[in-house]
Parts: sequence; structure tokens; C-alpha cells
Amino acid sequence: MLLMGFVAFLILVVGVVGVVAIAGGGGDDEGDTASPSRTTTPKSGSVAKICEGKTLVVPGGEPNTQLDPIQVGDVETSEYIVEIFGGLMTLDPELKVIPDLAREMPTVSADGKVYTFRLRDNIVFSQNSRRVTAADFKYSIERAADPKEASPTAKAYLGDIVGIAEKLSGKAKEVSGVRVVDDKTIEITLIEPADFFLAELTYPVAYVVDREQIEKDPRNWTRRPNGTGPFKLVEFTIGEQIRLVRNDRYHLGVPKLEEVRFELGGGSISTRYQNDELHVGFVPGTELDAVKAGRSPLAKDYRATNEMAVSYITMNPTKEPFDDPKVRQAFAMSIDRESINNVLIYGAYRIADGFTPPEMPGYTESVKSLKYDPVRAKQLLQESKYAGRLPRITLNYGGSGGNSPETLVAMQKGWEETLGVTVQLEAVDPVAYMREQRKGSFQMLSDGWAADYPDLEDFTGKLFRSDSSLNYTQYKNSEVDALLQQARRETDRNRRYTLYAQAEQKILDDAPIIPIFWPVSHTLVKPCVQGYPNVSMTVPKYRYVDIVKP
Amino acid sequence: MAIAESTAVLTSPEMTRRPRWPALRALARKKLALVALAYLLLFYAVGLAAPLVAPYDPNDQNIRAGETRQGPSSEHWLGTDSLGRDLLSRVIYSARTTVLFTIVVVVTGGFFLGLGLGLLAGYRGGWVDTAIMRVGEILGGLPTLILILAITAAFRTRITDLAYWFEDHTWVSFSEAKTFLKFTIIAGATVPFAWVGSARIVRSQALAIRELAYVTAAEAMGASTWRVIGRHILPGVMPLFIVGLSGSMAGMAGAEVSLSYLGLGIDPPAASFGSLISEAGFIRTFQQYPHLLLGAATPVVLFFYAWNLLGDALVDVLEPRLNLR
Amino acid sequence: MGPGLAGYILRRLLWAIPVLFIISVLVFVMLRMAPGDPAETILGNRFDEEQADVLRRKYGYDQPLTVQYANYMWNLAHLDLGVSVKYRDFTVTEVILPKLWVSSRLGILALLISFGLGIPVGVYAALARGTFLDPLTISSWLLLDAIPPYVLIPLVQWALVLKLKLFGLGWDGFLSANMILPVLVMGLPGVAGVARLMRASVIGVLNEDYIRTARAKGLREQTIIVSHITRNALLPMVTVIGLSLPGVAAGALFVETLFGIPGIGQLSLEAVQLPDFDVVLALILFGSASFVLANVVIDVAYAFIDPRVRVGGARG
Repeated sequence: MLLMGFVAFLILVVGVVGVVAIAGGGGDDEGDTASPSRTTTPKSGSVAKICEGKTLVVPGGEPNTQLDPIQVGDVETSEYIVEIFGGLMTLDPELKVIPDLAREMPTVSADGKVYTFRLRDNIVFSQNSRRVTAADFKYSIERAADPKEASPTAKAYLGDIVGIAEKLSGKAKEVSGVRVVDDKTIEITLIEPADFFLAELTYPVAYVVDREQIEKDPRNWTRRPNGTGPFKLVEFTIGEQIRLVRNDRYHLGVPKLEEVRFELGGGSISTRYQNDELHVGFVPGTELDAVKAGRSPLAKDYRATNEMAVSYITMNPTKEPFDDPKVRQAFAMSIDRESINNVLIYGAYRIADGFTPPEMPGYTESVKSLKYDPVRAKQLLQESKYAGRLPRITLNYGGSGGNSPETLVAMQKGWEETLGVTVQLEAVDPVAYMREQRKGSFQMLSDGWAADYPDLEDFTGKLFRSDSSLNYTQYKNSEVDALLQQARRETDRNRRYTLYAQAEQKILDDAPIIPIFWPVSHTLVKPCVQGYPNVSMTVPKYRYVDIVKP
Repeated sequence: MAIAESTAVLTSPEMTRRPRWPALRALARKKLALVALAYLLLFYAVGLAAPLVAPYDPNDQNIRAGETRQGPSSEHWLGTDSLGRDLLSRVIYSARTTVLFTIVVVVTGGFFLGLGLGLLAGYRGGWVDTAIMRVGEILGGLPTLILILAITAAFRTRITDLAYWFEDHTWVSFSEAKTFLKFTIIAGATVPFAWVGSARIVRSQALAIRELAYVTAAEAMGASTWRVIGRHILPGVMPLFIVGLSGSMAGMAGAEVSLSYLGLGIDPPAASFGSLISEAGFIRTFQQYPHLLLGAATPVVLFFYAWNLLGDALVDVLEPRLNLR
Repeated sequence: MGPGLAGYILRRLLWAIPVLFIISVLVFVMLRMAPGDPAETILGNRFDEEQADVLRRKYGYDQPLTVQYANYMWNLAHLDLGVSVKYRDFTVTEVILPKLWVSSRLGILALLISFGLGIPVGVYAALARGTFLDPLTISSWLLLDAIPPYVLIPLVQWALVLKLKLFGLGWDGFLSANMILPVLVMGLPGVAGVARLMRASVIGVLNEDYIRTARAKGLREQTIIVSHITRNALLPMVTVIGLSLPGVAAGALFVETLFGIPGIGQLSLEAVQLPDFDVVLALILFGSASFVLANVVIDVAYAFIDPRVRVGGARG
């Protein structure tokens, strides 16, 4: 009878829910790796299965723009760019600058301004095997500086080359500082000596692209870009996946993997990793204790990777009350970063003792940020010109790389308890956030910075020199400016590092920013994945990786 | 709510003029509905009296090892969250946020706009009907989410200034004023666009009623438009309208929870069910600290459920045909 | 269906044209007047006035608003919806279509579940009226309806994926076992709404004379339920289905986000937050158009069921 059918159905529903609740709540499953029901999911297999073949499946970030080296400014997209393209120089997993398409380190003229690069003999573009010549480099750099292309990074990362500014402003047709000597030799002239220039050349904007391909298909060439990297793009489906297959003619040694598949969809990554759907997983700090807990099957695959980045709070020195350094110092000393890190986020990060993270070549340990000291903080506020009459303060957040809302709420409490001021937190949409940052119309911001190339110039230098376009802090200090300007020109590496360190210490004492954490990325790697480098920046890394059946 | 809106199709206007007291008595016979009503009353009472009821200050942090993410205990009935704040107090203050929002929505009067315009369109017909319904279509076709984002972004600094003014000149605190203002703007932004649904239901019912013999008779006897609407059509439309209202209360409250879940609602540290759930709703967090999600989600799920049950019972009681026998 | 109905449908369709036109103008102006433009979105925190000007010229933002609107409409007429700011290699059509395909299949499957279960459950509840089974059935489905997806999904994923390992989680194409869970999570909460309406509809039919006649004729109860009651009660449900359809294409934000399904809901949020102007514009226009058209369909359905509607002469 019909009615009985429905009753039966209802019982079934209630039953299924009940079974799940009981089975789920009961045994602690963790660790049973070979559940028979796995077969229902085609892609996920048993442990043995995920170790078969040479296709690495990793979670990927959705690229934020087209896969064109000169348009990239974000970490997500760089991940793919560095695997698909290459330039004269590249970084190894230890962040050493090494030759990529150049045969060896360039020769530098005595005044430190002229760099001469010799190219390798066996370099070809991955899609069509066309030989890469010196003219390709000239074309690539001139394209990056073409005002029509509106590259967001050309000015910042190629601007040291003679003629880039003229080309960018449309005054020159060519970049005079880049000269093709012969087919295999290229000469680059700088405006002034720059010890960091080779590190700068590892950034995508300096990569080589295929002129023939771009001119044939100016609109859609980035769908199958022709680069010189260890991998080539075969598929990009928005929101689904990016597939890179190995470049069999790669000049630094053919990758061991046949393919790297980046899955762009969401879903809990650690769960998918545990289900053997992924070879590599990334864990947010909020899940850290669940992953690291002793009984978790993920604990043994876990590894921490320090990032070359810093999160901080900016206090606008042109706005009340932060025009008084004492107020800034008082705010900096009222945050108990230790407790926030250890208790709130399971020790996911490192306390930023300075601004520049220890991974940075030339890191100076003696540079210290202001310590948590509520007593001194109160005192400083009393001594400031805003003693007893602090104006209202709003902290805006919402940009990328800043601190999580919970962390901000914890800091808010610190300021309230120590200084008696309630800083209002306000979420701002990303575009408005960047507009306020640019115009300097904020009081406080939660922000962060990750190095684009491993040199102090891209950290302390670019962020605090008052004439830099990346000085978002609105900080201006002639002493600091002088030191940073001097550091920029210095060719003796150690002396250069010392100058940056001196400038950084001055900045930290003056406190236009409060460094909060040096982030750590929490990675899970399957045991059968070998050679996955622990690297603190975006570098080509999949050519070192292999999947080995146990 | 698309599905619920179309109740109109199923109802027939014949038996619209009935006394209301039997309806209430019929409602009283439904035990589940009574339980739901009792829960809603409790929810609203707790929400309104949050400062008196909450055992702790909802923003009182305690970032020390062992004090955060505690399970339920006699000290903290629902445990504590990642910042060591008492979860029960935060839930109670979240209820206050939800209550505040539903009140704001009712006060801004979107429902009554829908009722009025629907009646007018249905009764007058002709170009009035066409004009009202087409304007409704235009407004209803505009995207609510984008509108909310755009308007709150545009008024952001002004909201802050105004909230400070409230703090200085009234007994309302900054964060409460800010929450209230933001809600008013959100409701104000959505209401002019949201009336088309209820207007459509009311209209179709009014359309049907105006054809009935006694209405035509009243007209023939020279009763004025407003008299006919007030005496004859409104009572016929009312049950349906009440059903719609109770049905959409859960939806309205849900909108606030969803916005806060996405981080687009009120700013931290003010508590909302949405932000509590978004902090606790990761699989791993749930695996490790189930009380964070269950403690935050249960009260609000029951709140939605209670409105659903109440709406359901009202359908049964007020639905005219059912009373035929 | 007489000539009156045909005329009514025609009138209703003609009205959709000015409505859609006004919506398109309003939406266009709203989006263009809002702060921000593609130059700001693309350049981000490396913004530079000179480069911004280049980009504004490239995307036509340097022209007067009316020209921009005319251009947009002209392109729209040629099925060119503009270029995505985020996926600059892809046209808006290329960005939206695959996601629309995913979302609409997901939505239709979910609707099938909602209606496929909701209709029998509703009939069952109506027939069980007066016993405890009626309120029990409806209220248990209502509970499922009351749980927001962002609460339900972590619970379900924890139990079925992490603990029982019954399903995988990642996006693996639409036709994969991984899609079972999202479809269920989307479809089952909708059962309550359908069941309630179906129940009311069946109760209405139960009192009709022809059912009594059928009973009096001594037809088998099962025949009466299936071919008389259910069939007649289903008629109004057609409108309900019509009303639900525009929602299908809008996608399900939370289900898509939490399951990693590349659909319209996910895209909408991403595009609004970025903002990706032309994608947002296209999504809104598409949504509005389907809303307006659904309204036309419903009105026509009303007119079909209840001829009084189309008389519509002025009164009073």
C-alpha cells in the first residue's frame, strides 16, 4: 500500500541519520586508512594507489589574472608562472640566485652598472621547441615596459635599468639599457649600481616570452603560453583545475613528474588530503591542533614552512593621534603577541621580533621590535601630547596578508586594557582598502607583506623609503631615507646589510608599524612524495619532486 | 522563500469572513505550535534582556592556556571560544542581534508596503495593477546582495560617525548603535525591493475576493473603495498575510545570519550567530571542539524551526478551506 | 484557451521589454557609479595613475556613461558580454557558461529531489490528517529546512566524509560520486516546503465532490489516491515549479563554496567582492531577466487556471 511506502521511507531517513550519528560519534576512526567504501570515489584510492603514477595532485589558488609574467603581482598566480616561464636568473630552494637561461653568473663591469649575460646553448621554448635568443630577452623586457601593457610591476622591478622609465612614459620606443650583443649575449645597463639586481631578475616581470606567439595571438596566447619553464600549461579550467605537464626539453634537467594537477575548488583540504585525494595539503592555523594532535594520522606528514613574509599593523603618522611617536610606541607595547600566538592560534606563527624575517639573506638578529610592556606603554601615553585625550580610532582590515579578525579582536582588547582606548574594527572591501592605503586616509590598518624577491631592498627598502611607490605606511623620515638610499647604491654586500639593519632599527623604534607575526605555512606531504622542497618563497619547485612507490 | 510565496494559488477566498477567535483557539490546540511560540517568546525575551541574562561580558577575553576553547562546565555552560570568551554569553548577545534585526525589519515596514500595494493592485486592477506589478518586477529583479554591499560601503564612515554621536548623546553604546544603524541600512536597502513577493500573494487573493457576490453587492450599494478594501477584502487577505509574515521571519533573520557568516554583517567583536558559526564551522574545528558549533548553531536553528512550525500551524488554522468542515 | 488568453500572454510578454530595459539601465548606472573601476581592481596596491588611465581607456571607462551603456548594449546584442577583470583571458561568456551549466544541473537535480520526495510526503501527510503522523512528518522535514547550509554541511561532511569515508570531497566533474552529497544537501531541505503545499492542495481536493463520487462508486482507494486526488492536487504545483526555476540558475552559494563546486553562486560572491564589473553586470542582468520571465510564466499560469485574472478591467 502506498502509505506504507512513505512510512518505510521516513523510517529509512531517520534510520540513516541515526546510524551516521552513532557510527560517527562512536569509534575514533583516525588511522584506519583502508576503508573498503573508498571505492565509491573514483579519484581517491588507497594509499598504494595515490603513490602510483607520476601525476602530482595539489591544491592550487585561483590565479588572479592572466598567466602573463608581466601582469602578475600576487603569490597565487606566481606559483604557476614560475613553473611555466623562466628568465635569466632563478632561485633554488635555498633562495640562492642561480643562472636559469644564462649559462653562468654574468660578468659585471667595474662600476657595477653593466651586466653581461651569456646564454645557454640548449634553451628552447616548451610548446614549439624554438630556440631562445638574446633578441627574445630584449623583446620581453621592452614589452614589459610598454605603456600599452600597463604592467603593474615593471616600474618597481625593472626600473633600475636604463631606459625603462622613458619607455614606460612613452618617450622612447626602445629600452636603451638592454643591448643584444650577439645571438647568445645580452648586456643590461643600470642607472646606478644595484647589488640586488640579479635577485630582482628572478621576478616574473623579467621572464622571457615568445614574440611569435604573442604577435600571432595577442589576445589569447596566455591560454597556452610558450615559456621556458620546467612545465607547460595544458589545461586551465576556471574554478576547476590547472594542469601542467613536464617540459621534456627543460635545460636544467627534465622533471621527474609527468604532470602536476592543481585543484582549484574548495572544500576542506585536510579532509581531502586524509582521503587520499591530494598529495600535498595546506592547513590553516585554525585547524593546526587537530592535525598535529598525536593521534591524528596527519601528524606524521606535517611540516612547518617558514614564509618570507610579515604581518603588521600600520599606524598612519600623518593622522591623529599617531603623529606622536610616543602614542605609536605605546600602541606597539600593548600587544601581547606571545599569548595571542600560543593560545589563540596554537603557536601557528612566529612572533615578529623584527620586521624582516630570519629567512631573508642578510637578516640581522640584533634588530628588535618593541617588546610587550604594558607598564611602559601606559607611561608613554601619559608623556604623549594625547595624554588623557586620545581621539577616536578605527582600524580597517580586509586587504590580503593581514591579520585574522580574531587576532585583531585580541589586540583590540590589549589596547583597551592597557591604554583604555577602544579601537573600532572595521571590515573594508579590498578595493576600498587599497584606495585608503594609497591615499593615506586611514588611521590604522591591518596589513602584511611578502617578499617578491629575496633581498632586503624588497622589504625594508621598498616599504619605507618615502619616495617608493610601495610605501603604504605614509612613513617619512629623512634619516631613514638617507640610510636606505645609501643601502640601495652600496655594492659591498655586508655593508649594505648593515645599512638596512640600521634603518630598520630606527623604523622599529619610531614605530610607524607594529610587526605582529612572521607567518608559517603548514604543509602536509604524503610519504611517497619525495623531494618536495620546504621553501619560504615562490620558486620553481615541482622539478625537484618525485612520487616513489614504497 | 520562493516556494512558500505561492500559497496563494492553493487558497480560495470563499470562506474569508470568519471570526478570528476560533482560529486562535484552533492554534492553541496545536501543541507543537505552542511549544514553538513559547520558544520564540523566550528567545525574544532573552535577546531583549541580554545584558541582564548573560552570565559574563560577551567580550571579556581570557587568552591563557586552558581558558580558551573549554568544553561545557558549571562555570561556562556552553564552554568558551578561541579567545576565552563565555560562549553562552555570546550566544545570548547573538540572540539580541537577531532580535534587533527582526524588529528593524518589521519597523521599516516592508511587509505593510507589500500588503498595501498588493491590495491596491488586486482591487483596483487596470493600470494601477499594471504599474504596481511592473515596478515591483523592476525592483525585485535588482540584486539584493550587491545593493547591500554597495550601500553599506558608501555609508561606512557615516555609520561610524553617527554611532559615535549616539554614544555621546544617548545611553546606547557605540557597538549597539552601529549594529542598529547598519541593520537599518540593510533593511532599508532591501525592503523597497522585497515587497513584490508579498504584494503578489495579496494581490491574487484580493483579485479573487473582489469578484465575490457580497463584495459586488457592497459596491453596488455605493460603498467607497477604501471601505470595501477595509471591510471586505482586508479581512480576507489577512490570514494569508500573517502566514506569509511568519514564514518570512525565519528568512529575514536568516539573511542577517548568512551575511555575518560571510563577514559582511556586523563588525567584530559584536556577536552574531553568523560569525559564531563561521568561526566554529570548519570540519577540523568541529572534530576537535564540537561544542563551539553545536552551542552556537542549536539556538538559532531552533529559532528558524519555531518560526517554521508556527507558520505551518497558522496555515492550517487560517487556511479557509480547511475550516469548511 | 480562448483568444483572451493569447492576448493576455502577448500583453504580458510585451510588458517584459520596458521592464528589462529599465532594469538594465538601473543596474548599469548603479555599477558604474559605485566607487572603483577595473583599473583599480587590476592594479591593486601597485596602482599608478598613468597605468590606470591606459586601462580605463582599454575598458572604455573614459567615455561618458551614455556611450558606455550604448556600447554595452550593442555588444550585448552581439552576444558579447565584455571581458572579465579577474580572468582577463576569458570573455564573460566563457567564464559564466560552464558555471551556469554546473549550477543548473545541480539545481535541477536538487529540485527533482525536493519535488520527487515532497509531493509523496505531502500526499501522505494529507491522507494521514488527524493522526499524529501528519504533524510528525511535516515537522520533521521542517527541521531539516531550518538548518542553514553552513551548519548542515560541516556536520554532514564530518560524519559522512571524514568519519565514514562514504564520499570524496573534491570537485571531480559533475558526474561523480562526490556530487551525491551536495545534491542531497541542496534538495532535501526543500522537501518541507513542497510537502506543505502539496498537503494543503490534497486536503483541498479531498473535499471536492468528484472524490466523494468516486468513493461512492466504490473505486479502489489506491486508484482514487493516485488518479483522482494526486492528479488534481498536482495542478497548482506547476506554478510552484515555475517559481523555483529562476532560482536554479542563481546557484547555491554555500553548497558550492563548501563543496568546492565551480558554480554560479560561488562566482557571484567572488565577482561582487573583487569586483569584476562585467561579470557582475552579466550575472545581474541574467538573474533579472529570468526573474521577469518567471513572473510572466506564473501570470500566464494563473490566467490559465483562473480566467478571472485576465479580465483585469479597471474598477471602482
